[in-house]
Amino acid sequence: MREFSPRTAGALGALLYVLGAAPSPVVADSQAPPGGAWQSLRPQLYGTRPIGEVGDESMSVSGPASTPDPSATPIVVQFGKELAGKVRQVRVIIDNNPSPIATTMSLATGLPVDEIDLRVRIDRFTSVRAISETDSGRLEMRSIWVNASGGCSAPPAATQGGALGQIRFRPSTDGHAVQISIRHPNNSGFQVDPVSGDFIPPHFIAHIKLSAGARVLMEADTGISLSENPTLRFATGEPLPAPLIVEATDLPTQSRFAATWNGAGAAAH
Amino acid sequence: MSVARALLRSLPAWVLLACAGTATAADAPGALTVAEIAPGDFVHYGKPLPLEAPGHDDIANIGFIVGRRCVAVIDTGGSVRVGRALRRAVAAHTALPVCYVINTHVHVDHVLGNAAFADTPAHFVGHALLADALARSRPFFLATYAADLDAPASTAQIIGPDESVAVGSDRNLDLGERRLTLHAWPKAHTDCDLTVYDVSSGTLWTGDLLFVQRTPALDGSITGWLAAIEALAALPHVRHLVAGHGEVTGEPAAAFTPERVYLSTLLQSVRADLAQGKPLQDALKEPSEAGQSHWLLWDSTHPRNVTRAYQELEWE
Repeated sequence: MREFSPRTAGALGALLYVLGAAPSPVVADSQAPPGGAWQSLRPQLYGTRPIGEVGDESMSVSGPASTPDPSATPIVVQFGKELAGKVRQVRVIIDNNPSPIATTMSLATGLPVDEIDLRVRIDRFTSVRAISETDSGRLEMRSIWVNASGGCSAPPAATQGGALGQIRFRPSTDGHAVQISIRHPNNSGFQVDPVSGDFIPPHFIAHIKLSAGARVLMEADTGISLSENPTLRFATGEPLPAPLIVEATDLPTQSRFAATWNGAGAAAH
Repeated sequence: MSVARALLRSLPAWVLLACAGTATAADAPGALTVAEIAPGDFVHYGKPLPLEAPGHDDIANIGFIVGRRCVAVIDTGGSVRVGRALRRAVAAHTALPVCYVINTHVHVDHVLGNAAFADTPAHFVGHALLADALARSRPFFLATYAADLDAPASTAQIIGPDESVAVGSDRNLDLGERRLTLHAWPKAHTDCDLTVYDVSSGTLWTGDLLFVQRTPALDGSITGWLAAIEALAALPHVRHLVAGHGEVTGEPAAAFTPERVYLSTLLQSVRADLAQGKPLQDALKEPSEAGQSHWLLWDSTHPRNVTRAYQELEWE
């Protein structure tokens, strides 16, 4: 599911142009998403520090070119051997969303995380970029375009229900990966109450911490770009330590939710 | 509230709990073509088009049932134009008034024609949760389908029910020597599905609980939908079936089979993915054993169904 990146699009456009079979540069430009938050976020978040663009073998971002469900789009960040275990922070930015920073995630170095999956809301045609910072302070970025179009006509009802803050662990069969889901509406603050006509106040998971014993493996600041029932998935090159403890906090109520996973062989609770 | 309304206009699609689609429809002809599939039961078959295509306001099966005293309209199409053309088709077949406009669920292709019946004495009838579902959908409908409403487009044209049927229960309507039994289902295709059974002719109007040829679109609960299919397929005395999309040609009892096979295969494959800890993006890449060659609009509908099923079943 690797998709067209702006880089390959540019290269392809240039190639076609040379071959004379080309869409004009204007057409090529119109196929890019309209500019979003990155231009203003870059100096705020990273100043003038150089940001490299590594190859797929080091880091990649993937997602559907056109999301089948704008309310729940899977985005996958993968690290190759060169970066796995050396990334101390990853940001995922959805340029054209009202709250572009989907997550800022700190990772424990040494744990060879080779994949992080998020489920996000995609507002409209946008770049989705991941910027990683290595333990040596190097910044690397990859991005894709995701189009939000589709034919549905009503709010999804499939995700509703359950108890607020219920946490589910879903390990992979080899015990190298685990998906963590938290029952939560993750209200953006933009939805309208059908009865009163007023905005439903924002109410979202703002922080997720994953630890094994005293060791913090991951801490993420999250926001309203994560889908209802926020879901993260981690994969590593080795069996995950156990037990794993997940702790989450929402805003503005600052409710805390926690659960423990006792390992692939034990029942989760 | 007016501030909320004003801001809504500038909101992005997912905020409005929505997807996109922007085509305008061709003008409907004077009166919709209808077929009398059973004595007194008139059906207009919608076209197998995507929701973004020109003509997208005429994709659902809609129609009416004529009693001795009055007429019940079942769904009104995806635009006020189609609703008016349906009203002309009613008038072409009977001088009796329309006393009920029944909506089978909240989707745009079934409800946007309601405004064409606003100046009749008809009561609007729907599932107990239809009013809420419409309230959530109105801003999106207005933003996306304004061209399918009368200009100037307004949410006031998207008329909701004034009479409802409680979840899991029946309600009878009398059209004069013709009794209709309405049933409101727990979450299935959507969270507000209603079926209409015309007792005298043995005709069951399923709304979108039955898709024929067109890929079933999951917007409610896959387990709930399969349960509803089981109950509907077992109903005795059904002689004619009107699906939400597509035409039932064979035996009513067999008509649910392809949809049941599709949904149960999807259910099993997503459950298997979840049991193996397979992430959503991998589930989306799998070819379905349900056989895409049988279904129209597969590429746009099936991946969304996988996503919805995954999100429902991961909490089992």
